[in-house]
Amino acid sequence: MSQFLQATIYGLLQGGLLALIAVGFSLVWGVMNVVNLAHGSFVILGAYIGWKLNSAMGLDPFLGMLVAAVVLFAVGYVLQRWLINLVINGPIFITLLLTFGLDLLIVQGMNIAFSADYRSIKTSYAGDSLALGSVRVPVGRLLAFVIAVIVTFALVALVNRTRTGLSIMATGMDRGAARLMGIRARHAYALTFAIAAALAGMAGTMVGTVGTFNPAAAGGFTLLSFVIAVLGGLGNMYGALVGGLLIGLVEAWGGQYLPGTWVNALAFAVLVLVLIFRPSGLVGRAYYAARQEV
Amino acid sequence: MKPQPKSVSVVAVIAASALLAAGCGSKGEKTSTEGAGKSGTLAIGASMSLTGKLAREGELTKEGYQLCQDKVNAKGGADIGGKKVKLDIQFQDDTSKPDTAAQLVDQFNDKGVKLILSSYGSANTEAQAAVIERNGQVMADSAGADNKIFEKGYKRTFAVLSPATEYAASIVKAIKELAQPQPKTVAILSADDGFSKTVAEGGAAAAKEAGYTVLPTQLFPNGTSDVSSALTKVKGQKPDVIIGSVHLVEGVAIVKQAKELGVVPSGGFGETVAPPTPDFAKTLGKDAENVLGSSQWTDSTKGSDKYFGSAKDYAKDINAKYGHAPDYHDAEASAACLALVMAAEKAGSTDADKVRDALAGLDTESFFGHIKFNDKGQNVYKPMSVIQVQGGKAVTVWPTDSAEAKMIWPGTKK
Repeated sequence: MSQFLQATIYGLLQGGLLALIAVGFSLVWGVMNVVNLAHGSFVILGAYIGWKLNSAMGLDPFLGMLVAAVVLFAVGYVLQRWLINLVINGPIFITLLLTFGLDLLIVQGMNIAFSADYRSIKTSYAGDSLALGSVRVPVGRLLAFVIAVIVTFALVALVNRTRTGLSIMATGMDRGAARLMGIRARHAYALTFAIAAALAGMAGTMVGTVGTFNPAAAGGFTLLSFVIAVLGGLGNMYGALVGGLLIGLVEAWGGQYLPGTWVNALAFAVLVLVLIFRPSGLVGRAYYAARQEV
Repeated sequence: MKPQPKSVSVVAVIAASALLAAGCGSKGEKTSTEGAGKSGTLAIGASMSLTGKLAREGELTKEGYQLCQDKVNAKGGADIGGKKVKLDIQFQDDTSKPDTAAQLVDQFNDKGVKLILSSYGSANTEAQAAVIERNGQVMADSAGADNKIFEKGYKRTFAVLSPATEYAASIVKAIKELAQPQPKTVAILSADDGFSKTVAEGGAAAAKEAGYTVLPTQLFPNGTSDVSSALTKVKGQKPDVIIGSVHLVEGVAIVKQAKELGVVPSGGFGETVAPPTPDFAKTLGKDAENVLGSSQWTDSTKGSDKYFGSAKDYAKDINAKYGHAPDYHDAEASAACLALVMAAEKAGSTDADKVRDALAGLDTESFFGHIKFNDKGQNVYKPMSVIQVQGGKAVTVWPTDSAEAKMIWPGTKK
């Protein structure tokens, strides 16, 4: 029983972190219909920023995470405003190709700048755990989980309660109509991408604190984000949280009761099942699955 | 959105030049496309994992080959049939993919390059070995340790490193010989790639032979940084020793997550190739203390040769040229290159068949230890070193005749 509880706790915490990694990817996809293949490299870039601040200046990663968010916000805004916006009206293959190219550039750039060595952000507390009976709750992962949940709710508040957020959602729903209402679509898109990149950067710093990373890990995070975004569904900010928690739990439980190498297949099996029974994702809106870009 | 022709063309120029640069890079440092012997150089082909997931190890392997070329050429070249011949190693990037590594071997063959230095890792080397055999080339293998490569009857691939079955087994042997109190139960956790599984089997066999209770091996996906499932599974059985058949990233994950999950073996951790890498201690800090690992080579390895001198000399050279402490990946690459050069010198020829025969009969000391091959092409005559992280550094603790420090046991008692 304690083995099951332990796996569940661990899976939930892991799921929260996965959700934070994926939420920006889901946002960009939902609003702009761009599948951002460079998302994983933003995560890793955020991890490197947190790591550099920690190793050079001793800054705590949970503060460094904010710096990473600011830097990636700027990078994301510039990329979308002056690069991706140029091809946003093209077929989805063009944006796929462009973000794939960006991914290659960023990953190889990090290889040159930071080498391919594995890194980890060291703190005195993240590896410790609280004992609840026979179950351990790791401190670093708990903090990361709490931040993931807070960020998700903050994002929901942003898109539902603020003018900026509403303009982002409006542009995502119908760009033509939004522009007629006086929304600057280019700016709204750039903001969306910037927010997504900033969240990826925060997630990256936390990944670096609880685990290890190097540039080659970027592709894995993009893939995970894709699975989680589809699982949760587009058009709902809770989608990534639901998808992330589900993947975290499924992997943790699967790891306990199935041979260990099945874990990767399991995530995709769940994805296939969800696509069969709920094609728009667990909490996604059907509109986003069916829409046509005009 | 309005079209912006100016910025589009700027982007296009940048993209085009990036492509151009990439294209040039992949052609490698091509100085001589001639085969052996022409213009006084000996062409050797090396497909390298310079980008992709093995980029780190690939870069170290390249350093090892490069140092070997520098060392041999500094003496005027290899002495082949009374003539001094300079080495010309041609590097090409295989992007860490076995298919590409095998294709590059074919390309070298088309250019008349018959002597090959292997890429990094068992998967790449296994793919290359098949092509080598078909083309009648000959390959010195620096990093493909999986016993599977040598079970296929190939006659043209020679590995200077100890076989995969020794990696975990040597840790078990060191514990059997040195640990007080002796552990009772051993749990083996392994990545699920072919090499790691072979390592795990070798370790389990050695642990059974030593009389320990061996728990069923727990697998996790190769390259994962989450091994919590495997740890949760063994936690209840309270193993005295946890041995990970791992690469660096999974090895780090085992120690990190064991702490998170409160899994504390009464004896300690053994992690095969992770602890000898300086990154292991750097990443884990004090949690890395006393973790055991196994290494193909350390700078206290015994033996010397005319090009590199002793292991200590080798360490100095790597440090001077690359600014870091030598990694065993450096050393095994240099050793593979050394074996190829020595075989060519012994054969007095650069002909692939003659070099092959000379390699098969090679029996020499070197900075890497004893280099000699069994009839399968494996170097089973060299023991592996067992190291332990002490004070943030990996020090050799076994075999005892080349030990730098006493093994600290139990390793988990702080």
